[in-house]
Amino acid sequence: MNAPIRRVALTIIAVFAILAMSATYLQAVAGPSYRDDPRNARLIAWRTGRERGTIVTAEGVVTARSDPSPDDAKLFRRTYPEGETYVHTVGFTSVLFGSRGLERTRADDLVSDRDSNISGVLNALMGGDPRPRGLRLTIDHSLQAKAEELLGDQRGAIVALDPRTGAVLAIVSTPGFDPNALVGPDGGPAGTALEEDPAEPLRNRTINGSYPPGSAFKVITAAAALESGIASPSTTFPDPLELELPGTTSTISNADGEVCDDGDSVTLEIAFIRSCNTTFAQIGMEVGALGLVDTAEGFGFNESIPFDLPVLPSRIPEATSFANDPPAIAANAIGQRDVVATPLQMALVAAAIANDGEVMVPFVVADVFRSNGSIESSTTPAVWRRAVSPATASVLRDLMERAVLSGTGRKAAVPGIRIAGKTGTAEVAGSAPHAWFIGFGPVEVEAADRQIAVAVVVEAGGNAGELATGGSVAAPMASQLIATYLAG
Amino acid sequence: MSRNAELGFLAAAILLGALGIAMVEFTRGNWLNAQVALTLVTFGIAFGAVHMAFRVWAPSASPLLLPIAAFLAAIGFTEVYRIDPELASLQRWSFLAAAAAAVLTLWLLRNSGVSVLRTYRYLFLAVGVALLMLPLLPDSWFLHGATVNGSRLWVRLELPLVARQLSFQPGELAKVFLTIFLASFLAERSDAMATVDRAIGPIRIPEPRHLGPVLVAALASFAVLIYQRDLGASLLLFSLFIAMLYVATGRVFYVAAGAVLVVIGGSIALTTFDHVQRRVSAWLDPFADFTGAGYQTAQGLFALGSGSLTGSGIGLGRPDLIPAAATDFVFAAVGEELGLAGSIAVIAAYVLLVTVGFGIALRARDRFRKYLAAGLTIVVGIQAAIILAGVLRLFPVTGVTLPFMSYGGSSLMASMVIVALLGRISHEERS
Repeated sequence: MNAPIRRVALTIIAVFAILAMSATYLQAVAGPSYRDDPRNARLIAWRTGRERGTIVTAEGVVTARSDPSPDDAKLFRRTYPEGETYVHTVGFTSVLFGSRGLERTRADDLVSDRDSNISGVLNALMGGDPRPRGLRLTIDHSLQAKAEELLGDQRGAIVALDPRTGAVLAIVSTPGFDPNALVGPDGGPAGTALEEDPAEPLRNRTINGSYPPGSAFKVITAAAALESGIASPSTTFPDPLELELPGTTSTISNADGEVCDDGDSVTLEIAFIRSCNTTFAQIGMEVGALGLVDTAEGFGFNESIPFDLPVLPSRIPEATSFANDPPAIAANAIGQRDVVATPLQMALVAAAIANDGEVMVPFVVADVFRSNGSIESSTTPAVWRRAVSPATASVLRDLMERAVLSGTGRKAAVPGIRIAGKTGTAEVAGSAPHAWFIGFGPVEVEAADRQIAVAVVVEAGGNAGELATGGSVAAPMASQLIATYLAG
Repeated sequence: MSRNAELGFLAAAILLGALGIAMVEFTRGNWLNAQVALTLVTFGIAFGAVHMAFRVWAPSASPLLLPIAAFLAAIGFTEVYRIDPELASLQRWSFLAAAAAAVLTLWLLRNSGVSVLRTYRYLFLAVGVALLMLPLLPDSWFLHGATVNGSRLWVRLELPLVARQLSFQPGELAKVFLTIFLASFLAERSDAMATVDRAIGPIRIPEPRHLGPVLVAALASFAVLIYQRDLGASLLLFSLFIAMLYVATGRVFYVAAGAVLVVIGGSIALTTFDHVQRRVSAWLDPFADFTGAGYQTAQGLFALGSGSLTGSGIGLGRPDLIPAAATDFVFAAVGEELGLAGSIAVIAAYVLLVTVGFGIALRARDRFRKYLAAGLTIVVGIQAAIILAGVLRLFPVTGVTLPFMSYGGSSLMASMVIVALLGRISHEERS
């Protein structure tokens, strides 16, 4: 009489066992694909609805904060009070487009622990602070605003660093856009327009813009010559009107089409001050591919720069690929052909010269602070690598200062302050040249004084168009930046 | 002794419910508040009353039934509260009403035991059928049926004095009455139904007159399906009839016949009724008609997948995105906020409850008590399995509530009465 009851019981229990297996499959095996399905409205709430920490500049100007949502008491809405000014660095977090910038790379700090269940609960039980942490940036708000203003409606990028610490003082990429327009679920049209905009406003040119550095690269070529002992500032080179490249019929000439000095011979110093291609092509060929590549890599080329945001590596080809190709060496030595660099990389080049040849690890997050304002952790400045010896750095400082005093970089001058720098006017096929300036000031500082290194690039000549040069377009901007920072 | 163990487990389950409410409040930025206290008090009174009724009128009842019910109720109530605090405050009254019904049941059976129910079996049949038909009352009557989500299984009583409606699902209670009737009917007839054979070729079938109950069961279920458009209730009733016939006779023939009728009935339903077709296609591919028929299933899958292993944490998921999350799909809400861990805990609790129920049936001394205990256990087990299978995509979604967990007073009342009856049966075997 009991056997049928047992069989029914076993059948029902077996059904529950199958249900348990199904639950295991749906939650543990197939779970992530359901969770990440774009139609899962939870993603929208998770991405934007959680409370995120506040992001402030060095002086405490709020660049990103979470306000309680007017629609749902449990949700928050992210706002970016400074709009475009910090958009590429702070980034944004959006329902439809995910997160970018620090909002993405520092999500672990910015997002509340409360949703990571077990660890969050344990943390809260242990007396930890369950609210999200905030970030204090190294950026100087007035300098950042100045940089944005200087670029205006031109495409380009500005990076300013403290050469002795690596702290980013300003970092601007233009064109920018208003991140607030992308936050909500209604940001689709705005985001699509940005994605399709030929000016590429979504691209952070400071770290993802690859530009031929042009003559700004001559700092590295000069460093290679000095480090290898091939030349000193007073070493002379032939001074032709056009430099014939070995094994070809092509020639290299100077930007103004004239000889560099007297048409007979020219020193490295004069050639640097006047940014002569004919001379630096010769210097490059004497240094050789290996010397150029080694020196460039010493500054960080072909490396991933350690930073709070992912940086596109700046590139120079492997030495073996052009060691026996003098025309390629000549072109690469003047920052054309196969050499490309990000504005951040070129700012590090200037900063390294200012900092006795040592490249500091660049950073933009100064502190992580708790919701009560206390500091959880601070970034300690660290040396990334040595680019050149202190002696070489000292000689390059002198050369760069002369370039500003009496050379192509005259418009970078700031009255009463010793400025050093190097211009670049990078030829590009099919468009006006990119105008570069890299430099720093003051040249000599006491420990307590302010010092700033900058890299400015104005894409395709900016408003000056075909007539643009580094000296006429980028150098004046650097002058204003340095003056602004040193006055503040 | 066993009553003290029950009290201990019960206290743990009640505290779990209060803790759940406290966690929901915590995630809303509140601390311990009146809602937590109210839950503690309601659960304490409701389950405490049933516990005391057991102590007085069924002191030897199994001590496991009530704590498992309270455990499931605590988790379900937490999710209902988390999804809609207003529903939850109504549900608190349902807990009190359901407990009162359970206490009343134990009180009525205090002297004569469950055997007295046999005396009134045709009354139970009549009441059960009447309850099933109640939703068909015209809309204009003061007591009338109501169509919710395309299924007519609600009854509304207009209360003119307070200008409010009292809604209930009579089908939930009907299944208890029908189980009592079936147990009693089968206890008398099972020998005849099991032994008298007639052979057609190699197939041995019972006397045609004994096939009657199967056909009645099939027709009644089909009637429910047609008139009330309620796939879940009809499937539950039919499975109950077939399972109880098998329990009573031990003859696989009834199961086979039932399976054939399910296939036939299912095919007819599939070709005839739009709502059945929609549910089946939503089951086969919920994403094909994501914004339409498949929406609920898909939202359930998103919830379960988002819950992953340990869940979002109580109050931190979005079960409010799932249609009917507080009722039919409460399991998806549990799966989202408590993760696979919570899902398995709930399934395990049902397995435990079903095991205890069938254990009572196995130990029962007479046929009626055996069949009644088995039948009541089958009702709870199959009802839970039907809706869990719907949420977990093993079966098309059919609208039935998850016993003890879903929002809904009728369902809760039926479930608590079942606990009282099972407790009483187990008491009678041990005393």
